[in-house]
Amino acid sequence: MEVVGYAVLALATAAIGALGGLGGAVLLVPALVLTGMPASEAAPLGLLTVAAGSISAGPRQLRERTVNHRLGVVTELSASTGAVGGALVSGFVSDEALTYVLAIVAFAAAVAGGRRGGLRNPPDPECDAGDVGERVGALTGAYPLGDGVVPYRVDRLPSGLGFMGLAGFIAGTAGASGGFIKTPATSELMHVPMKVAASTTTFTIGVTSSAALVVFALQGRIDVEASALVVVGSLVGGQLGANLQSALSPTVIRRLLSVLLIVVSVVLVARA
Amino acid sequence: MTDTGGTVPRQPIPGGQVSTIRGRWQAPALTWVTRGVMALGLLSAVLPEDAAIAVATTAVAVVIAVPLVRVLWLVHRWRQEHDRRFVGVGLALLGVVAAGAALAALGVGS
Repeated sequence: MEVVGYAVLALATAAIGALGGLGGAVLLVPALVLTGMPASEAAPLGLLTVAAGSISAGPRQLRERTVNHRLGVVTELSASTGAVGGALVSGFVSDEALTYVLAIVAFAAAVAGGRRGGLRNPPDPECDAGDVGERVGALTGAYPLGDGVVPYRVDRLPSGLGFMGLAGFIAGTAGASGGFIKTPATSELMHVPMKVAASTTTFTIGVTSSAALVVFALQGRIDVEASALVVVGSLVGGQLGANLQSALSPTVIRRLLSVLLIVVSVVLVARA
Repeated sequence: MTDTGGTVPRQPIPGGQVSTIRGRWQAPALTWVTRGVMALGLLSAVLPEDAAIAVATTAVAVVIAVPLVRVLWLVHRWRQEHDRRFVGVGLALLGVVAAGAALAALGVGS
C-alpha cells in the first residue's frame, strides 16, 4: 500500500510539475522526504522519474527537430561529471544535510520558475526547410518556427558548461533534474532559442539522471519495488499535466508552483 | 514556455553540412520503450513478489540504460558522418559514466 501511495504522489507531483514546466522531481523528492522517506532514498526515485520523463518526451521533440544533440552531449560532459560527483559525495553526507540541500534546490527552482522569461531568436527569410537541423562538426543549427526557419549558434560555451556542472551536481545530490538551471542557462546565457534549449535540456536531463543512477544502483540505494510504480505514476502524471497545460494560464501556474515550492522548502528546513 | 524576454540579434545562416540525424528510428523506439516500461511497472504491481521484483528490476534497468544507449547511438551516427570531434566528446561522456560506475563499484561514497 505504501508503494501505491508513492505512485499516487509521483502522479500528482508530475502533473503539477508538468503544468508549471519544471518537471515533477523537484516536487516529488521533497514530498517523499516529508512523508518520512530519507533524502538519500528519495533522490534515486526522483531521478528515475526524470529519466523516464526524458524518454517519453523524446519522440515529439525529435519529430519537431528541436533537439540539438551535439550541444546536448557537449554540455552533458560537464553535467554528468557533476552528477557522478554529486552522487558519490551524497554517500558521505547525512540525511539532514541532504534535506537542507533539497530545501535550497526547491527555493532556487521557485525563483527560476517565477522569473522565467527567455530570449527571442528571429527567423531568417533567407533560410528554408533544407537548412533545418544541427550542423556536422559545429554547435550551430536551425529549427522550424511556424512558416519560418530560425538559425542559431551557441555563445559563451565555457560559462554554460559551468552552469551545467552545477545542475548535474544538484541532480546527483538532491535527485531533482536541474532543468530549471539548464534551460535558462542554454537560452539566456548561450543564446540558443528557447524551444531548442528546452528540448535539448529534456534530452540531457535523462543522461544526467542515468549517470547518477548508475552510481546509486551500484551502491544499492534504489528501492526497485517502489521505483517501477513511481515511474508509471510520473509518466501518467506528466501526460496529464501536459494535456491540461493548454487550458490554463502558464504565468498563473508558474507563480502558484513557485509559491508551493517556497512552502515546501520552508517545511523541509523546519523538519531538518 | 513562452518567449517574453528580449531579442537575440539575428544569427547568420550556419554554414557546413546539415546532420542527417532526424530521429526516424529513435522516435518510434522511444515510444515503444515508454509503453514497455509502463506495462512492466503495472505488471510489477499484480505479480507475486519474486516475479514482481524481477519485472520491476527490468523496468528500472531499461529506464537507466536508454538515455546512455541514445548517446552510444549518436556516437555511431556521428562516426558515419565523419564528425570525429563529436565522436570524441560522446565517448568521453560515456567514459565519465563508466568512471563513476567503477568508483561506486569500488565502494567510494558507500
